[in-house]
Amino acid sequence: MAEELQMQEAGHDPRKRKIGLKKGKGRKKMKVFQGSGQKVKMDGKTKKLFRKKARDYNSDDSDDDDDIDEKPVKFEKKQLQIENKEDDEKSSDEEIEDDDDNDDVGNDVSDNEDEITEHGIMKFSEGSTSFKKAFKKIVKRTGTDDVLGPVLSAYKNLVVKKLAEEATEKKVKGDAKKEKTLLREKGHVKPDAFSVSHEKLLIGVATKGVVKLFNAVNKAQSSQKGLNPLRSKDAKVIQKRRKEAFFSELGKPPSGASAGDEEGPAWAPLRDNYMLTTSKLKDWDKTADEPEATDDFGRHEDTSSEDDE
Amino acid sequence: MARFRNKKKVAFVKPAKKQPQQNVDHVTGDKIPRSFVFSRLKLPATLKQLQADLRKMMLPYTALNLKEKKRNNLKDFLNVAGPMGVTHFLMLSKTGTSPYLRVARTPQGPTLTFKIQEYSLAVDIANSQLRPRVPKDLFKNSPLIVLSGFGTGEQHLKLTTIMFQNIFPAIDINTVKLSSCQRIVLLNYNKETKLIDFRHYSIRLQPVGVSRRIRKFVQSHKVPDLRSLEDVSDFITKAGYGSESEGDEEAATVSLASDVGRVNKASTKSAVKLQEIGPRMTLDLIKIEDGLCAGTVIFVISFAGNGDQKKEQEEESKASEDDMMDD
Repeated sequence: MAEELQMQEAGHDPRKRKIGLKKGKGRKKMKVFQGSGQKVKMDGKTKKLFRKKARDYNSDDSDDDDDIDEKPVKFEKKQLQIENKEDDEKSSDEEIEDDDDNDDVGNDVSDNEDEITEHGIMKFSEGSTSFKKAFKKIVKRTGTDDVLGPVLSAYKNLVVKKLAEEATEKKVKGDAKKEKTLLREKGHVKPDAFSVSHEKLLIGVATKGVVKLFNAVNKAQSSQKGLNPLRSKDAKVIQKRRKEAFFSELGKPPSGASAGDEEGPAWAPLRDNYMLTTSKLKDWDKTADEPEATDDFGRHEDTSSEDDE
Repeated sequence: MARFRNKKKVAFVKPAKKQPQQNVDHVTGDKIPRSFVFSRLKLPATLKQLQADLRKMMLPYTALNLKEKKRNNLKDFLNVAGPMGVTHFLMLSKTGTSPYLRVARTPQGPTLTFKIQEYSLAVDIANSQLRPRVPKDLFKNSPLIVLSGFGTGEQHLKLTTIMFQNIFPAIDINTVKLSSCQRIVLLNYNKETKLIDFRHYSIRLQPVGVSRRIRKFVQSHKVPDLRSLEDVSDFITKAGYGSESEGDEEAATVSLASDVGRVNKASTKSAVKLQEIGPRMTLDLIKIEDGLCAGTVIFVISFAGNGDQKKEQEEESKASEDDMMDD
């Protein structure tokens, strides 16, 4: 075994293929006619060509930009028909090779609207790297863009417009709503600390009224305390007292200053405006109804008058 | 398998007999005025609450759960009002500028139109108070009414006083029980601004002259803390600090004719304390019409710029009212 290896390492076996001369990825090469060992004539051009080919095998480096100076060629393949792609992106995908060497031409490049077409040499044998370059470019771009990506920028603009519209709509609606609520609540005031003094004033007025009323009640009722309305003797006393109270209230002019007086003569005839509301009696102060404890009162047109100032 | 029905045995509860409301007041012989509070149009939420507050205030002689439909108009209410003995309508409505309150007397009485400048709801007021007080029988009796500042003699003010006095049933000072006077409605007319303040208070009587601790003890039944005292007499005679409102109580002291509640005994001095409940309104009288939301306009406030015109209108209105009075 060792001998065989040695033999293999040592020299070339003319019959067998060159071992160890597998380049790059070890792909199968086209079978090249070995030839008779004659030297192949190398022009400058062919040399360049071969060098380029050699470079392509190390195409992981970004040498795409090197190809920009070459004229752009549009791929026929639809995958690369990106709408807003710039020219240079498409341009450098292809590789332009000299027109001289047409060995490997496998593809015709068709015309395209916006680009100069040229005959390009596609290396179908090794697969096209142009798609790879294109894809890389796209991926590089998307790194900087937002969610929608560079591809769908028209859609993106649409979305932006819609969002702006919605925002303005909401704003308008919000304003309208605010106005509406303001109108609805107009006049509605929550009690705040500032109006406390005014409220205290009002409470004082009301308290005075209540006090007056209670005092009047007190006066009226405590005098009656001992009296029982059912006993006839007492009933007369009650009547008399009431009459006095009635006439005293009548005699009092309607005073605006006193707070609770309107409430004082709470019994209807005692109020100054007793008959005024009906507007039927003319001389209301001339006639007087005789108050009785148990009778039901209607409005009497003809009343017995008892004038007592 | 027989299934047993779960028979819950309920004790027989005699339904409480509801006293039918009196139509005629025993004392005065007038009909007890009843009222309807409703709204003319659809109201926003806060005004609906104001309407509910007004209804509560007018208790017990009002329809608390009055339901109105959109298609009901004034005639429907009039038709119902007759047999039910309703004498007054309170109508709330709202225009673009402000809410309005119309107070009218059925069936063909005058209508007063007030513009509600400001209002506060009962809940707002309860929220602003430290200790809102609602005793449970507060709305069992109708409120008292106090009108102040109306005595300037102008016709429209007189009419307003008459109207409001008649909305609430009268009380007879000879027979009224002080414990039934629990609420008070105040209408205060401000001459400068020509606005009517409308307030609704609850009355509370507090015995005066008793020290704070004893009073609180008696009212709340909480056993006091006697740890630091050596003798019960200390508790009773200890001079406590006086609250600031005791000064106001001096003016508000009454001597009661009868017992009110447990603590206020007859012929002892008690202080009258009011606490605000219910809605608060600031009203501006703008129109008085002769009929029920119709008829000749008796009084109208004209706005600034035509002072003479206003006087003319007032004179006219006075004249027409006098004519009416003489009929």
